Amino acid sequence: MPRGLVGLVGANGAGKTTLFRLLLGLARPTEGTVEVCGHPVVSDPIGARGRLGYMPEHDCLPLDQSAADVVATLGELSGLPARAARQRASEVLDLVGLDEARFRPVGGFSTGMRQRVKLAQSLVADPELALLDEPTAGLDPTGREEMLVLVARLASFGISVLLATHLLDDVARVCDHVLMLDAGRLVVAGPTETLLHQTGKFTVEVNAGVGRLTRALTERGLTVVAGEAAMDGEAGAIDVVVGPDAEPVLDTIRDVLADLGLPLHRLSSRAASLDEAFSGGGEL
Amino acid sequence: MTEVRAARGAVYDRGYRPYDGARGGRRAAVLALYKASIRRAIGLRRTWRQKVLPFGLLAVVSIPAAVNVGIGYATRNSPLEGFSFFTYREYVGVSSSLLLFVAVCAPDVICPDRRQRVLPLIFARPLTGSDYVLAKLGAIGTIVFAFSFLPQVLLFVGQTLVSKDGSLEYVKDNADVLWKVPVAVLALAAYYAALSLAVSSLTARRVVAGAAVFGVTIISSIVAAILHEADAVGGRGPLFNVLGLPLLVRDLIFEGHLHEESDLAGVAGAGALAVAVYFAVLALSVGVLLWRYRWAEP
Amino acid sequence: MTQLDPAFVPDPTVVVSGVSVFFGPKVALAEMSCSFGPGVTGLLGPNGAGKTTLMRAITGLLSVSTGQVWVAGGDPRRVRSVQGHIGLVPEDEAVPGGLTPRDLVRYRAALHSVTDREAPDRWLAVVGLLDVADRAMDGFSKGMRQRAKVAAALVSNPTVLILDEPLNGADPVQRANLIRLFRQLGDQGRTVLVSSHVLYEVERLAERVVVLVRGRLAAAGDRRAIRDAMADRPRRVLVRADPPRVLAAALVGHEAVGGLEVDGDRLTVATRRAGDLALALPGLARTAGVRLWEVRPLDESLEALFRELVR
Repeated sequence: MPRGLVGLVGANGAGKTTLFRLLLGLARPTEGTVEVCGHPVVSDPIGARGRLGYMPEHDCLPLDQSAADVVATLGELSGLPARAARQRASEVLDLVGLDEARFRPVGGFSTGMRQRVKLAQSLVADPELALLDEPTAGLDPTGREEMLVLVARLASFGISVLLATHLLDDVARVCDHVLMLDAGRLVVAGPTETLLHQTGKFTVEVNAGVGRLTRALTERGLTVVAGEAAMDGEAGAIDVVVGPDAEPVLDTIRDVLADLGLPLHRLSSRAASLDEAFSGGGEL
Repeated sequence: MTEVRAARGAVYDRGYRPYDGARGGRRAAVLALYKASIRRAIGLRRTWRQKVLPFGLLAVVSIPAAVNVGIGYATRNSPLEGFSFFTYREYVGVSSSLLLFVAVCAPDVICPDRRQRVLPLIFARPLTGSDYVLAKLGAIGTIVFAFSFLPQVLLFVGQTLVSKDGSLEYVKDNADVLWKVPVAVLALAAYYAALSLAVSSLTARRVVAGAAVFGVTIISSIVAAILHEADAVGGRGPLFNVLGLPLLVRDLIFEGHLHEESDLAGVAGAGALAVAVYFAVLALSVGVLLWRYRWAEP
Repeated sequence: MTQLDPAFVPDPTVVVSGVSVFFGPKVALAEMSCSFGPGVTGLLGPNGAGKTTLMRAITGLLSVSTGQVWVAGGDPRRVRSVQGHIGLVPEDEAVPGGLTPRDLVRYRAALHSVTDREAPDRWLAVVGLLDVADRAMDGFSKGMRQRAKVAAALVSNPTVLILDEPLNGADPVQRANLIRLFRQLGDQGRTVLVSSHVLYEVERLAERVVVLVRGRLAAAGDRRAIRDAMADRPRRVLVRADPPRVLAAALVGHEAVGGLEVDGDRLTVATRRAGDLALALPGLARTAGVRLWEVRPLDESLEALFRELVR
């Protein structure tokens, strides 16, 4: 697994939890070796854990202590001296954006706040690699946005991230690299960009006149795959097959639009989404 | 002379500072868990409600000793009829209060970690299952030891001051107390801690654990009583009383043999047997604890 | 002919009028009026905005403090037969131990007097749980439990289907399957109401969205139309062109353009007249001899919309 932000996806039961447990030294491999940040896990799991931070998916915080206390105590458990642990706790709680609420018991927190505390405790000992299990689960769109921004920033702090999630959009937005598991096997591993391979088509969306556009493009010899509404005067999107030589086709599209006086709403190369790559078995 | 050009401005804090300081390993982690567990059991850093039981207990065990010494002191020149100081032996193991304490505090340091699923967070740190057990045993053991020891200190210091023969004489005459009391209290503390923690580790619910601790002790004492009444197993019935075992060990420490009033008096080899059963229970408890947290062993 | 307010649909199956719900001092819903009809509608809003309350009011699970709820012919709280037309899949809750999917679906079928004996298995197959239909659900993952509840809600063939975060815990493949299923159900003419926080999925699922913020209706309708209705903020459009600055110069001269940012080959154009910009762009590009590689509105996604509404 390379440095940086790596996404881990897979069906339920495909082995994501097992992978995390292997990395934490809580499970032994039947075969093979595990190395974390250059540290062999099987022979020295305790040493390896010193480089890791872990954010479980489930609720895992003591509810009757304040957030500051929880994070500081967990920092001490990671081996930090008491004063340093308190200092670090304060810093990571600042980082995740928990202000005065940090002095209140965790039991009264909303999901968003709890997720932030969970993230904070995974960072309190300055890990080299943070294992995050569904960090956006249960968060509303605003919370999800904020969490993804935080996770993306971790790379700039020199912390690598292994992000396990069911939301391929999160992976596409944040991760440079994707690992895909299926029934315990690694079926895809590669940079996110490569997975979103081009399909050789461009999508053209107009606010009116999609029918005329289709006809005009077809007359010019282009292959058009119809999108939604294909009636005259209606707004709609179509896909135009472009092939290896995109330039002349793009120019033709532009000229037809200009000639017909049609309002261009969107023009973009039709990239496969991660979902398609995922269900397609992930050809690279 | 070299010219030093200073930069006009710089940005220092990008929101995250790496940690370059000291990092302890397992030892530091175990110590931290030990201290955190003690804080939790005594109620430090928590609401005042959490402090009531521990400090109330401390009061309950200490005040009689203080009063006893106080009366002795006040009446040292005109001794009261029928008054005597508490003996050290008597005061080791003020059972019911200590039982209440461990039945509440042991579940409180063990069960929430399991119930609130904090264990994965703890074991993602440089800490093994046996480290966890060690820290928890240490924490509860330390507290029970401290709470049992304090009144003893009160008694000793009090009697030293009150003694008719002078303090130094008193200490010389009772020097053996200075080792007997700590050892007996340690035997008691270790036992209660191990037993209550072992029982608590079997469930995630504090109330159930507390009830189970009581249950184990009560049921065993009933069994012991029944066996004693029926004069079965060669009179060794009282050995089944889980609660009473450390007290038997205490007697052995203080007097070298079982007390005359003990139900086991006269039973052959009862002393040795008591010690054996004591250690068996201790070992079993620790075994249960290690077993419960074995999944965190590397 | 007057335009219908986008909060309402012309052929509604569910009508909410003037509904307020108070929980003691807390106002969960404040005078909500809207309606839902056939097809899939997305219900969006921050946590605590009142989505679950609205769904429970529609299914008759709680009574409203003021106003009225009308579903498929009657008040769901008073008219028993209405209940048979509604299927609810609530957010993940614990299931009684030992219950299997087949048990759950059969129970619901019996509750609604479903006579078709094949129905339970058919719906279990649709959600992909047929081969584990007799396994106890407390061993299931969240995603599997949700799917069982979907099957149970569907077995009575409801006209109105209410789903609270139905994709919670589902892995990508299950998500895609469920999204496809919900779209099909909408196409069949059922009224499907889905609440979700994963906005890019709601985009794929629903043509119409209803947004709640703090117990009130914040927006309703087609998301592009909602965006149009937010006329006070300038729209931003990304244009990738070659050569970029030539096009930038041409655009700055056009009156529809309010502002322009250049970053390599990417131009971010701010405009308050997105329609005029769209019309002008191809012509401007051709005249300037500039090739257009990409044109993309930046704030059209539900994410962007949501951000604006919730600010």
